[in-house]
Amino acid sequence: MSRVIRFQFRKGQELRFLSHLDLIRTLERAVRRGRLPIAFSEGFSPRPKMSFGSALAVGIMSEAEYADFEFTERIEPNEFMTTFNSVLPTGLEVIKAVLLPPKSPSLMTEINAAEYKLVAHDTDAAGLVSRIKSLQTADSFVVERKTKKGIRLVDLRPLLYEVEHPQEIGSETAIRCRCAVGSSGNLRPNELCIMLGMDPFTTKIVRTALLIKEDGSYQDPFDRIEGHNAT
Amino acid sequence: MDQRLLPLLPQVSKPARYTNNEINAVHKEWDHIQVKIAFAFPDIYEVGMGHLGYKILYSIVNGRDDSLAERVYAPWVDLEAKMRELKIPLTTLESGRELKEFDLVGFTLQYELSYSNILNMLDLSGIPLLSRDRTDQHPFIMAGGPCAFNVEPLADFLDFVVLGDGEEIIHEIVELAKEGRVKGLSREEQLASFGKLPGVYVPSYYKAHYNANGTFHKLEPVKQGAPEIVYKRVVADLDKAEFPEKFVVPYIDVVHDRVMVEVFRGCTRGCRFCQAGMIYRPVRERKLTTLKKQIRTLVEATGYDEISLTSLSSGDYTCIEPLISDVIEEYKDLGVAVSLPSLRLDSFSPALAEEIQRSRKTGLTFAPEAGTQRLRDVINKNVSEDDLYEVVKGAFQAGWYSVKLYFMIGLPTETEEDLDGIVELAQNVLEIGRKHGTGARRPEVTISVSSFVPKPHTPFQWEGQDSMETLRAKQNYLRDRLRQRGMRFTYPRVEESFLEAVFAKGDRRLGPVLARAVELGCRFDGWSDHFQYQLWMKAFADCNVDPHWYANRAVALDETLSWEHLSPGVSRRFLLQERDAALGGRTTPDCRFDVCSGCNVCPQLKVANCLSEEGARV
Ligand code: SF4
Repeated sequence: MSRVIRFQFRKGQELRFLSHLDLIRTLERAVRRGRLPIAFSEGFSPRPKMSFGSALAVGIMSEAEYADFEFTERIEPNEFMTTFNSVLPTGLEVIKAVLLPPKSPSLMTEINAAEYKLVAHDTDAAGLVSRIKSLQTADSFVVERKTKKGIRLVDLRPLLYEVEHPQEIGSETAIRCRCAVGSSGNLRPNELCIMLGMDPFTTKIVRTALLIKEDGSYQDPFDRIEGHNAT
Repeated sequence: MDQRLLPLLPQVSKPARYTNNEINAVHKEWDHIQVKIAFAFPDIYEVGMGHLGYKILYSIVNGRDDSLAERVYAPWVDLEAKMRELKIPLTTLESGRELKEFDLVGFTLQYELSYSNILNMLDLSGIPLLSRDRTDQHPFIMAGGPCAFNVEPLADFLDFVVLGDGEEIIHEIVELAKEGRVKGLSREEQLASFGKLPGVYVPSYYKAHYNANGTFHKLEPVKQGAPEIVYKRVVADLDKAEFPEKFVVPYIDVVHDRVMVEVFRGCTRGCRFCQAGMIYRPVRERKLTTLKKQIRTLVEATGYDEISLTSLSSGDYTCIEPLISDVIEEYKDLGVAVSLPSLRLDSFSPALAEEIQRSRKTGLTFAPEAGTQRLRDVINKNVSEDDLYEVVKGAFQAGWYSVKLYFMIGLPTETEEDLDGIVELAQNVLEIGRKHGTGARRPEVTISVSSFVPKPHTPFQWEGQDSMETLRAKQNYLRDRLRQRGMRFTYPRVEESFLEAVFAKGDRRLGPVLARAVELGCRFDGWSDHFQYQLWMKAFADCNVDPHWYANRAVALDETLSWEHLSPGVSRRFLLQERDAALGGRTTPDCRFDVCSGCNVCPQLKVANCLSEEGARV
């Protein structure tokens, strides 16, 4: 019998400046306000058993964040959604929840790709199209990355998987991209902007999916567990 | 929030400071409200959000149907630079409106080193710095908090100042503002109405006179009816005082980010250097049942995982042990911990240590303040070394590994022996840790040494501060001797303590210096890496004011003090008597548990110490 709920939630405009740690703290407090019977780890300083997909950079909105919460008793996903949404601040909202079958791999270990939507105002759309073309044919795209150990050169090109043709809606131009996320290769959204020649400060960035890429095909963290019997 | 800030936020540090919409933040229909108050905290969001007094006022004003309160903090230097560049004025978090649009702007006066931020925030708001330059178009700038008891350096900038507890008087202020609006009072008339409230000081109703030798002569009331002495307000029964049922829950990490309840207000231990111990008298405890109810309400409303029992010395609360064990029992399965922010070592029993330990292991702090019994008697810190060792031993045995000890240097009558005493004490504590520690981790002792700042309304108000050279020499003396394995020595810069002393004992002649310093770019003086001592010295020089005269000079006993018209109720006679006792090395007992020591607060303000156990018995 599963006591773990996997859910997808949205992080909106209002809370886009929260760091990953701020977000975790906010969810923990909401769990307590909602009196949800979260399970705690054993040991010296018990922590609530909450695990997350990939951390979202400060300033970015998301339609598709994921978390697994373990409870001390079985909770129906719908009941969880209603309760939790009633205590979450504006800007956070659970949009789907399921019971996670026992022994499912963690979000962290599975998620390895992300989809972003970049929206810019009054950009040169034709320029953008040719920029994308040349990116698609390029073998490499090397940038400097600041790390704790100093500045390092990285090739971003292999981390970018797909770029859709830009869509124009009024004065806005939107592009969807898929790229690597996680510990074995991570393309940061601001780097994505730089690759596309967009301004990382003014471009509106939304994470639209977190995915599991395997042999060239994509699944979301729910697809992976469907078909299993969630009991 | 102000939408104009949005595009700037990706470019500044910690943008979530400025975005509002926290859980329990109050947003009211602006047009339906009669009295609008902006509560301004002269420091960044992360500091201001941890302040309990501010939460209390926010909740009282927003609890009324006719008034609203919004929050405003000092923007960090990076955002300020951009705001100035783009001419964006300072706005409140909730509605994003300019401070000018409010009826009242209330600043909290927590520490002297935040004064430059007050002026800077006014300047960022486009409100004239000087009270006399403000017109009907501007809000009233009011202030309150511990520094109100010598607010003279800010006299030019504040319209009125509230002394003492705010819970009751804030209602009276709102009522008067509402009435003034209905009657269409002029600014002057409205100010006069506030000025009639007991506990309100209107600086512009007085003129300061000085003697030829520079000493203070007197403060002359120039407005009819202005009282010679303004006495503080005091809430007689704290148990019945309003307390928030909700706290605004920040998203980002802030100081004191937890449920806080105030177990009591005031402290009568009578440490002779301690201003808080004088200005918040008498002791008023809340009842156990009240506190438990407040905790329950707040945990439910906030979802915090930590409860802090606050006061000047929470271990002295008469029901502390049942309170701690009941609260721990109630929350043990919910991952909620209890903390006591200020532990006095003689009120900290091993049983208490055990209780908190069951909950969560936080660092332990003790404040012996001085290194020898002789000096502790001088400052009336009634704790013995044996007590300390006993408690520390208990703590190490219960599994703590890290202990922090607070001391002060530059106290009156201090000698080298007292400094050696600090070193010895630290060594002994570490030794106890090595012998009795149980944890896997090596014992650690942090020795935090601040410089004594003589404060108004204390028995040491006449003292001069040690010169910076002397303080530095004492710091070096200690540093050389505390360079030992397992010890960490921390101390603030003497320049900061010096400036604190200047303003603590300052008078109205410092107003122009403050304005000049802000003009030169001083702000965030409480932040070591932003404190600009050289600029401050330039400001003093430009205004022809000698800061040393304020900080380092011992004031003669027959001089009039420039803060004596701002009274917490403690009499000059008592302070002199305590000063004598200090120099004679005689201690004075705590009137809460012993005889009245005659400070005069109770008869003067018609209040009394009020302990919970007594309350329970009645
Ligand atoms: S008047 Fe007496 S009882 Fe009251 S606070 Fe002062 S010393 Fe204590």
